[in-house]
Amino acid sequence: MNCEITPEKRPPSSGGGTEGGCIESFLRQWAERCPDKPAVICDGETVTYGQLWEQATRLSQQYRQEAPRAQVIRSTQSIGFLLTYFACHLAGKAIVPLENDCSESKFTGIQDEINACRIPDHVADILYTTGTTGRQKGIMISHRAITADAGNLVSAMQYTEDLLFVISGPLNHIGSLSKVWPAVMVGATLCITPGMKDMNAFLGALRLPYPRVATFLVPSGIRMLLKFARKELAELADRIDFIETGAAPMPQADMEEMCRILPDTRLYNTYASTETGIICTHNYNAGYCVAGCLGKPMKHSAVFITPEGYVACKGETLMEGYVGDEALTASVLHDGTVVTSDMGKIDGQGRLHLTGRSGDIINIGGYKVNPVEVEDAALAFPDVADCICTASPHPALGTALKLVLVPRNGSAVDRKALAAHLMQKLERYKVPLLYCLADHIERTYNGKPDRKFYQP
Amino acid sequence: MKERIKELLEEMLPLLDLESDFLYSELDSLGVTTILMTLSEEFGIELDAKDATPKNLRTLDSIVQMVEGKLKTAPSPSLPRGGGSND
Repeated sequence: MNCEITPEKRPPSSGGGTEGGCIESFLRQWAERCPDKPAVICDGETVTYGQLWEQATRLSQQYRQEAPRAQVIRSTQSIGFLLTYFACHLAGKAIVPLENDCSESKFTGIQDEINACRIPDHVADILYTTGTTGRQKGIMISHRAITADAGNLVSAMQYTEDLLFVISGPLNHIGSLSKVWPAVMVGATLCITPGMKDMNAFLGALRLPYPRVATFLVPSGIRMLLKFARKELAELADRIDFIETGAAPMPQADMEEMCRILPDTRLYNTYASTETGIICTHNYNAGYCVAGCLGKPMKHSAVFITPEGYVACKGETLMEGYVGDEALTASVLHDGTVVTSDMGKIDGQGRLHLTGRSGDIINIGGYKVNPVEVEDAALAFPDVADCICTASPHPALGTALKLVLVPRNGSAVDRKALAAHLMQKLERYKVPLLYCLADHIERTYNGKPDRKFYQP
Repeated sequence: MKERIKELLEEMLPLLDLESDFLYSELDSLGVTTILMTLSEEFGIELDAKDATPKNLRTLDSIVQMVEGKLKTAPSPSLPRGGGSND
């Protein structure tokens, strides 16, 4: 059976809706050509391309009846989530996947924001993140950007039909969601795991009998494996074709250790963000293993450094803009270029190197956290008179959030109650792991918290 | 030992309800990592991915059992080299 579909020479879709030119057109073609090929494995269940297409098409009829242009949903690590994802697109809707433990107030707040805005027809996904600008906002991604991202990854990392790609991160985050796209483009098989919380399930997925296995891990996930599953990882060395990482800086020592344990595995460090899409990548297990090196731009992307030293990106993978905020969009995206907050340089061979990040954003396991948001939430707790949220080194995770707080009137602060209060107001990854008391918070001459004073 | 483990985990994971019978379901990857690291450092035992099972991390008691089991099987540093059994 010849299941080959050449991504760049695909026939135009005749399926109607938003299917033409979208990732769903590849899903339909694989369903027609190889209906019995496994598309997704999750929790012991396997869905073929034929089943995935049939079920997504059926579900899309339901979404066609729904009034809103964009569907806000809580993402889950499940086949059901992917069905909803594809069905929304097929129905001409944009999908807004939020984190699974998102509070009801946040969910309805975002729903209201989305419903009040005009979402352009070509927008496929709206991902909420704290990124370049340092505050939570919805980033609109077009169908064209999705197929360009998929094309970038397919050609740079050689996704092929015989590949099993293991998803270990949340599907509302571009890090993992963006791996669904190239896998569907080439008719590969996805295996969705609950996340790195269950390392055994993740390792079990890597052992599934496929000729080629690959995955994406944020640097803290790699650190977890190196610390708690080094032997198992080494045993899988012959099976793992490639591991991509990104979203946060990876320490040099971890990179070198990965090269030692997996000498024949391609190990990629990728430059990507929700605003820019998937831009550059570098295989650091091919003779040049240097922290901060993110390689050359992929086929649909270009990168340059602004005179001020910021990384700027061009190409088809860029976002459409921020939901309901044209001024903010214009400040980041203009002349077909997204100017990021990352500082970088390009070496003589055209490889991007990150040298730092402007602003106060803290990167926790690939998630960007604006400390001001955490501080505002903590200050709403009655026993907290003042506070500052900082990054603290963590032996396993690289970086953890720490809240230094001044109790009101010298009273004791119930840390557990404070953490529960923060949990109500913030996403889980924004709730600090570490807490310590202080009699005052250091401030700069103009009264702002002195973040440099608290840097580790 | 149970009190010490409780104290350690309360310090490291203030959000966690240690009285819960569904403790594992309340954890994320950061929580699992923190538990493995904290206990291995405190008790000088080796914990790895195979120990991070829903069964071992179901309740505070099951965590205590896991640590006790590891301490029983781990070689005792106080024994002289080649000196007797740990059973």
